[in-house]
Amino acid sequence: MLSRVANNLIWLDRYMERGNSIINLLKLNFTANQDSPELFPWAPIIKNYNDHDNDFTTEDPIECIEYMVFNTGHSNSIVNIVTRARENARSVQEHISRELWLNVNNYYLFLTDKTLPQQLQEGDPIMFLDRLKSFHLMYQGNTDLTQERGPSYYFMSVGKYLERVIQISDYTAIKLVEISKTTDRLEQTFYWKNLLLSLGGYQLYLKKHKSAFTEGHVITMVFQDKLFPRSVYYCINKLYMHIQKLIEIQELEKNNLEFLLGKLESTIKYTTIDSINEQGLENFIQEIKDDIRNISLSINTVYFSNANS
Amino acid sequence: MANDSLFSSYSLLPETWDEMYDDRSKIRSQYDIINDYLKATSPEKLYKKEELTRQLFMSQGVTFTVYSDEQGIEKIFPFDIIPRIITAKEWDKIDRGIKQRLKALNLFIKDIYHDQFIIKDGIIPADLIYSCPNFLREMMGVDVPHDVYVHIAGVDLIRNNDGEFYVLEDNLRTPSGVSYMLENREISKRIYPGILPKNEIRSVSDYPNVLYKKLSELSDQAEPNVVLLTPGIYNSAYYEHSTLARLMGIELVEGSDLLVKDHFVYMKTTNGLKRVDVIYRRVDDDYLDPLEFKAESTLGVAGIMAAYRKGHVNIVNAPGTGVADDKAIYVYVPDMIRYYLDEEPILKNIETYQLAKPEDFEFVTKNIRKMVIKKTDGSGGYGMLMGHEATEEEIEDYLKTVRENPTNFIAQPILRLSTAPCCIDGKLSPRCVDLRPFALTGRDGIDITPGGLTRVALKKGSLVVNSSQGGGSKDTWVIQ
Repeated sequence: MLSRVANNLIWLDRYMERGNSIINLLKLNFTANQDSPELFPWAPIIKNYNDHDNDFTTEDPIECIEYMVFNTGHSNSIVNIVTRARENARSVQEHISRELWLNVNNYYLFLTDKTLPQQLQEGDPIMFLDRLKSFHLMYQGNTDLTQERGPSYYFMSVGKYLERVIQISDYTAIKLVEISKTTDRLEQTFYWKNLLLSLGGYQLYLKKHKSAFTEGHVITMVFQDKLFPRSVYYCINKLYMHIQKLIEIQELEKNNLEFLLGKLESTIKYTTIDSINEQGLENFIQEIKDDIRNISLSINTVYFSNANS
Repeated sequence: MANDSLFSSYSLLPETWDEMYDDRSKIRSQYDIINDYLKATSPEKLYKKEELTRQLFMSQGVTFTVYSDEQGIEKIFPFDIIPRIITAKEWDKIDRGIKQRLKALNLFIKDIYHDQFIIKDGIIPADLIYSCPNFLREMMGVDVPHDVYVHIAGVDLIRNNDGEFYVLEDNLRTPSGVSYMLENREISKRIYPGILPKNEIRSVSDYPNVLYKKLSELSDQAEPNVVLLTPGIYNSAYYEHSTLARLMGIELVEGSDLLVKDHFVYMKTTNGLKRVDVIYRRVDDDYLDPLEFKAESTLGVAGIMAAYRKGHVNIVNAPGTGVADDKAIYVYVPDMIRYYLDEEPILKNIETYQLAKPEDFEFVTKNIRKMVIKKTDGSGGYGMLMGHEATEEEIEDYLKTVRENPTNFIAQPILRLSTAPCCIDGKLSPRCVDLRPFALTGRDGIDITPGGLTRVALKKGSLVVNSSQGGGSKDTWVIQ
C-alpha cells in the first residue's frame, strides 16, 4: 500500500472517531449542565479542543454547541473535522468501500447545508446532536459490514483506537482536575458518574457495581476493563492487535512499535489500583499519554521513513 | 396524465439541425422512445427526477472544483435528463471515421518523431511542426510499444446543418469527461427504469475493463503494476481520476508517491518500494518531469522521461502527442489520412483558415462577424474570439495580438451546432450540443465505446459547451 494512502486511512478514522467523541461529550454535558451548571461548565470542554492561540469561551449551551459544530475558524469543530475526514476519504476512494465514501460524503453535505445552523437554533439540541451521531454510527456499521479485512481496514483501525485512547485519557484528565477541586464526596460521585456517561460505560458500571460510585471501581473500569470497548486497555489491546496484523502481512516493518505497545498493554493490565493511587492517577494518565504520543510518532516514522527512502 | 405542455414551446433554430425534429417538424423515429415516455409523465414527476439527479451527483461526490478568488467551489456538472439519441447507422459512420482518423494520427506522430517522411514529401511544412509548442524534441527517435502513441482519445464532433458530423478537435493529450459518460448512464438507469434494456441501448459500462486491458497489455510483465497519476485532490478532474482508478482496481498515485531509481519507476509503499510498469497519467507533458520540462513542477517525477526512453516504464498517452492535436496541425489531418492510409476521410474537418497566410488573414478580417478565432494551443474554450458577439474594440484588440504572432491563431466559420431537446424550466427547449466519443487504442486495434459525452450549451443561443463556462451534459444513447 502507498505510504500516503496508509497515512490518509489512519487520519480518516482518527477524525471520525474524534468527531464521535466530541458529539458524545456535547450531548452529555448539555444534560448535565442543565442540572448543575457550576459542576458541569462548558469552558473546560471548549478549552480542551481549542487551538492554543484561541481563548474563545462561552457558558451558553446553544452558543457552545454552535461553536463546537459549525465554527470554521476552530480547527476541531465538527465541520472542520468532517471536511478533513472527507478529504482523506476522497483521496483513498479506491481503498475504502463505496458505502464508506458515500457515508462520509453525505455527512459532509449534511453539515454544510446552509439551513442546518438554523435547525440547531430552533429545534431540540439533543435531537440535533443525535442526527450528527447517526452518521458516526453508520460509519462504524459500514466499516464492519463492507470493508474487507486487509491492510486498509487495519490502518483505519489503528487510527480509530489511537484516537480513542487519546480522547479517553484527555477527558479523564479534565475530570480529575475538577474532582481535585472538591472534597465533597457526593460531588465527586457526580463527576465519576459523568465521566462514565461520557464514555458510554454507565450502564455496564451499574450492572457490575450497582449504583455505588467508588473511585477504585471507576478507574478499574475506565482503564482496565477487558470487555468495555471504551476502556484504555481495550483500545490498546485492539491497537496492538491491528499493528501485529500489519506486521504479519508485511505492511509494517517490525520496529520498536510492537515493543512500545506490548509494554503499555502490560503496564495497564498489571498495575493495581493501589499502585495507581500511590503514584497518583494524574501521573498514571500522563504516563499513558506520553506512551501513546511515542507510539503515534513511531507510526508516523513508519510511513514517513519509507516515503523518504 | 398526458404531458403535452412539455412540447408546447419547442421552437427550432433557423438553419440548424435538430436532433429530435426533422425540418418538417416531425419527430425523428429514434426519439420515439423518449417521447412516448415523456408524454406519459407529468411535469411534477419530471421535476422530481431532475431534483433526484442533482442529489445523486452531489452525494456520490461527482463534482468538479472551480477556482475563483483563490477559493474553490465544488460544483456539479449540470445534467440534462433528456438523452441524446443516435441511430445505429449514424454511429457506424462515427465509429469508422474516428478509427480512420486515429490510425492516421498515430502514424503521423510516429513519423514526426522518427523519419518525418510527411515533411520530406512536402505534405506538411517543417516550420509548422517545429514551432508547435507541443512538439517534444525529447521524443525524437524514441520507440514506443506497438507504435501506439495515442491510447486514449476524446474526439469532439459537432453536427452541422447538413446533418453531417464534423471533427472539431481531436483531443489526443489527456482528454477528460469519460467518468461523466459512465455516471450519466448510471443516472439514466435510475430515472428511466426499464427503458434502456427495452430499447436495446448499447451499454457503456465496459469502458474501464477495456481501458485496463489496453494499459496492462503495454507491459511485458506477467502481472504489471498499472497506476493512474493524478495532479492531486485539487485538480478539477480529480473525481474522474479516482473513479477510473477505482473502477479499474488500480492505484491512484500523485507525483510525490513515485520516484525513479536506476532508471526504473517505483512507488513508495508501507512495504518499501514497488516497481511501476504502466502509468496512465493525467498530468500534462510540461509537468511530467522537472528534469526535462518545467523545473518547478511538483506534479511529476524527476527522471521519469529517462526511464521511459529506456523502455522501463510506459507512459499513457505518450509524451509529445500534443503535436497532433494542435489547431494548426488539425488543418492537415485529411491530408494525413490520404498520405498514410490512401483513403478519403470519412469524417469531415471544419473549414479552417490559417492566419499566417496573408490571403486567409484578409478573408477572415473581412468576414470577422462570421468567424471564430482560436489560439492553436488553446483548450477549454478559453482565449477565443467569437466574431458575432464581440465588440469592435474587442475585435481590434484581438487582431492586434494575432498580428504579433499569426502562426499561433486559426479561424473557423461560426458553426451551426445541432440542437437537442433539453428540459428547461419544465419545458423542452432546443440547445446546442456536441459529442465526445472515447476511443481506446491498444495492441489489438481501436475500440470506441458506443455513445460518449454529449455536452450541451445550457444558455439559450450559446455555442460554448465547456463545463468551465456554463455547459452541461446529457447521456448519449446509441441504438443497437
